[in-house]
Parts: sequence; C-alpha cells; structure tokens
Amino acid sequence: MKRRRSFFYHISVFVVSQVAWLGLLGIWIYWYVSNYIIFEKAGEKLSPEIVYNGTKVLPFVGGIILLVSISFGMSLIFRHLNVQLRLNNLYDNFISNITHELKSPLSSIQLYLETLNSRSVPAEKQKEFINMMIKDASRLKTLISSILEISALEQKKIVHDFHAYHIDKLINELLAGAAEQYNLPNDAIKIEGGTKSRCIVDKNAIKIVLNNLTDNAIKYSMEPVKINVKFRTQFSKIIIDFSDNGIGIPSEELKNVFSKFYRVYGDNIPNVKGTGLGLYWVKEIIRNHGGKITALSDGINKGSTFRIELPVYNEFIRRFKKSLLAKKKQKKLIETTENRL
Amino acid sequence: MTGENKILLVEDEETLAVGLEFNLTEEGYTVTWARDGKIALELFNSQEYDLIILDIMLPYVNGFEVARKVREKSPQMPILILTARSGVEDRIKGLELGADDYLAKPFHLQELLLRIKGMLKRKMWYKEAAHVQPVYSFGDNKINFENLECTTIDSQLRLTQQEAMVLKYLIDNKGKIVSRKELIEKVWHMNPDIETRTVDNFIVRLRKYFEPDPSNPVYFISIRGAGYMFNTENQ
Repeated sequence: MKRRRSFFYHISVFVVSQVAWLGLLGIWIYWYVSNYIIFEKAGEKLSPEIVYNGTKVLPFVGGIILLVSISFGMSLIFRHLNVQLRLNNLYDNFISNITHELKSPLSSIQLYLETLNSRSVPAEKQKEFINMMIKDASRLKTLISSILEISALEQKKIVHDFHAYHIDKLINELLAGAAEQYNLPNDAIKIEGGTKSRCIVDKNAIKIVLNNLTDNAIKYSMEPVKINVKFRTQFSKIIIDFSDNGIGIPSEELKNVFSKFYRVYGDNIPNVKGTGLGLYWVKEIIRNHGGKITALSDGINKGSTFRIELPVYNEFIRRFKKSLLAKKKQKKLIETTENRL
Repeated sequence: MTGENKILLVEDEETLAVGLEFNLTEEGYTVTWARDGKIALELFNSQEYDLIILDIMLPYVNGFEVARKVREKSPQMPILILTARSGVEDRIKGLELGADDYLAKPFHLQELLLRIKGMLKRKMWYKEAAHVQPVYSFGDNKINFENLECTTIDSQLRLTQQEAMVLKYLIDNKGKIVSRKELIEKVWHMNPDIETRTVDNFIVRLRKYFEPDPSNPVYFISIRGAGYMFNTENQ
C-alpha cells in the first residue's frame, strides 16, 4: 500500500513538474516576444541613431535550450527513480520470500524439538520426526549456501573447476542424481537425442543448473512431473532443451524469469516456496561457461522449455585462447606504459 | 472439551503440518490437513470445523483470502493465523479480515496449544450464551448473536466475534458494574494483569455503533475507577 502510494506520488510530481516546466517555457516565450517589441519601439524613439546588428535570436534560443535541458534532466531523474522503485519492490519481495524460506524450516525444527522434549513419542514417530528435521536442516543449508554462492559468483570470487566431458554421459549422470535427490520415479525424466561432442564445464556448477531446473519443474507442475531432455550439436554449440509438463510461463514473463529476485505470481501457481534466485543463479553459471539460457513456453498449462546453449570443446578452447591473448596484450600494454613512465 | 473439536489445519509446509497434526491429535483434537487455500475452502464448505489454523503464504488462494471467505460464511468461526509474516501491516490485515488471533513463526508449541484452547473455550461460552437468547433489542438497536448482524437507528452492520462477545457479556450482566479486569479474564480468557486499553477500545466501538450520541453514552456507562455498566434504564 505504501509502495503504491509512493509510486503515484512520484507520477504526480513528474506530471506537475512537466506542467510547471511547460508554463515556464510559455512565460519565457511570452516575456521575450513582448519585451523585444517594447525594447525595439522604445529604442527607436529614444535613440534612433543606435543600430543594433547583433544576433537577436541568440538569447531566445539560449533560454529555450536551458529549459529543454531542465526538462531532459527531470525526465532522466524520473526514469532512474522508476528503476529504483522497481528494484526496491523486487528487494522487498525477496526479503518477504527469504523470511518465509528461513522461518518455515526453523519453525518445523523447533516444533519437533519441543515435541520430543515435552511428550513421550513412540520410537517409530521419533525416527520420522528426526528425518523431518534433517530435511529442514538440509533445506536451510541449501538456501544459505545458494545465497553465499550467488554473491561469490557476482563478485567473481568463484573459480570454476573446468574439465572436458562427453556431454551426453555427463547430463545422463547428473539427471540420474537429480532424480534420486528429488525422489522422482524412473519414468519421470526422459532423455532424447544425443551427441558425441565434448564440452568444457564445471561439473558441480552444471549439477546446480540441472537440480535447479528439476526443482522448478517439480514446484510448478500440478500433475506428477514429466521432464524431457533433448540435446544436439549445432555448429559450434551444444543445445540442451529441458522441458517440463508444468503450468508454463506467460509470454510477457519469459524475459523476466532470469532476473534477480524475480518471481511469477498468480492464482494458478501450485507452490509459493522460493526466493527468486534459482533461475538467476542458473543464468549466471551458464554465462560463466560462455553459454546462454532462454525460456520458452507456449503459454499457461502448456509446459516450459529451458534452452541451454554451451560452446563445444573446440569453440571453448578458441575463446579461451582469444581471451588469454587479449589479457597478454593488455599486460604488455601496461608494462610498456610503466616502462615509458 | 477437546474430544469433539475438529480443527482445519491449512499449511503448505509438509514437515510443519505433520508435527502440528501429531501434537493436536495428542491433545485430543480431530485434525484435517489442507495443503493449499483451494483445498481449505473446499473442506470448509463441505465439513464442519470448530477452529481453523491458517497460514498466509499458500498456493492458489492465499490465507487472507481464505479468512475473508470463511468470515463471509461463518462470522463465528475461530481463526488462528500462523505465519512467517510477522510485520505489523500483515498482522493488522489478518485481524481486520476477521482472524481472532495471530501467531508468528517460529512459535512455541505450548503457546500455540494454549491459544487454541482459549479460542475454543471462548467459542463454547459464546455459543451457549447466544443459544439462550439469540436476538436482543435495546432502544432502536437489534442484535442477532447467531449471525452477528445488527440493526441500529440509521444503519445495518455486522459485529466481529470479539465485539459480540464483549457485548454479550455486558448484556448478561445488565445493571451490574463490570471491571476491565473481569472482561479481560472472562471474555478474552487472558491474564487480567495485562494492560487494559483493549477493553476501552472495544467500548468506544460499541458506543459508536449503538449510542444515539457516543460522546454522552446512555447504554454503555463508564463508572469511574470501577469499570463499565450496561444499562437500559436511562432510556
């Protein structure tokens, strides 16, 4: 409510300032034209011998340029303010979501501890409760490490452990791990196509990517989840299509889903858990591998596809050499400049 | 008392719901668990419950919306909001929509159980009291204690459960002085040593609804240093 009010407040301030600016421009033109005529008439009467041959339009144009600059400045400030408001809004949502994500498992752990402390719980139930606590503690651990790792990734503090892998073998292995981690039945993940291509990736980072996409597919599916993974090589790229049978993504949201803190809200969303960091993390990892990820969806209830493009082995090496060369050149330039100094 | 009480537990976190269900069952309540707002409303519309424990951040229909829809149908249903959202704005919104109590996560088990017990006790007392005399009239006012609808000289309104309980207690003690502490103890079922402005706020609201001139009350009279008295003799 507060945010809404402040947004309308800023819109009103902008409109009022623009009206004031237009008024000022009108007054300036009116003042200049009327005074120019008066000065000309008075000048002719008082000192007809003085003839002024200077540029008469210069002060007029100068005034208009000044006023237009003020308007441009105001528009620029307004634009930045809007961006800031949008960011604040996303940040508030993130805080609200993270509070929920931290407090929920914590409440559950506290509840089980107090239950075990105050009641005589049968041994079988005790085991069940302990498993629940382990599940919640693991959820907390995943959440905290994801926040820390995203922060490290953004500050370029993470050094990827790159190795060459046969992509089909790697994806098969990681998806089997994801299926086990999320307790999915054997037929939940289907892998189609194949490629003999190799690529250079950080296995742990790609595991995070696939786990996040699997988690998303589970969270946003009303029916038992069905994941279909296809991969192929196209020129110098390996293309992996990760599709699910979930609720899909509205077309207007496709670009936003990878933004930091961004979450899609709606009455058809079967799950409210999440922080708005998962797909942002995925995008950043793929970017660090020199690749690209895009979201595709035919609309609501028609599933989603996440298309990952990674450079093949040779392309990765070529880019790596190029970047090394660029770094070398840069280093040489710095050394030459230092020697000259 | 708890043997027949049915609780609808609306919670999307499975681990928390399992623990709550166990504890509530141990206390003798019959618990039905709904994992989202849509299921909660379906269950509420098809079955009878004595109390609802409601989370806010729920899939499909959020807890605020569930509370609003429950209130529309059943003004007397005790609702306890149990949520991770502990901000003042959320608390106010929840209570305004008709929740009777609001507990933030993480919570203490004993506190939750005591609050549930208190809410059910209040409901039981009110149900019995309202059953004896469902409609009461004084002056130009008419109150139906079953659906909480009131007709006053110039308007029609619906009381909240808590307002109705305060009013019912004062009516039952018509002509007698009722202290603030007594109201806190008997209506709120809370420790009477807590601050007593809450009672005054409720009296202000009742005067606004039912007094011809709220600044010069004739029905809800303040007795200096003692409390309040409901009186219809002065009219």
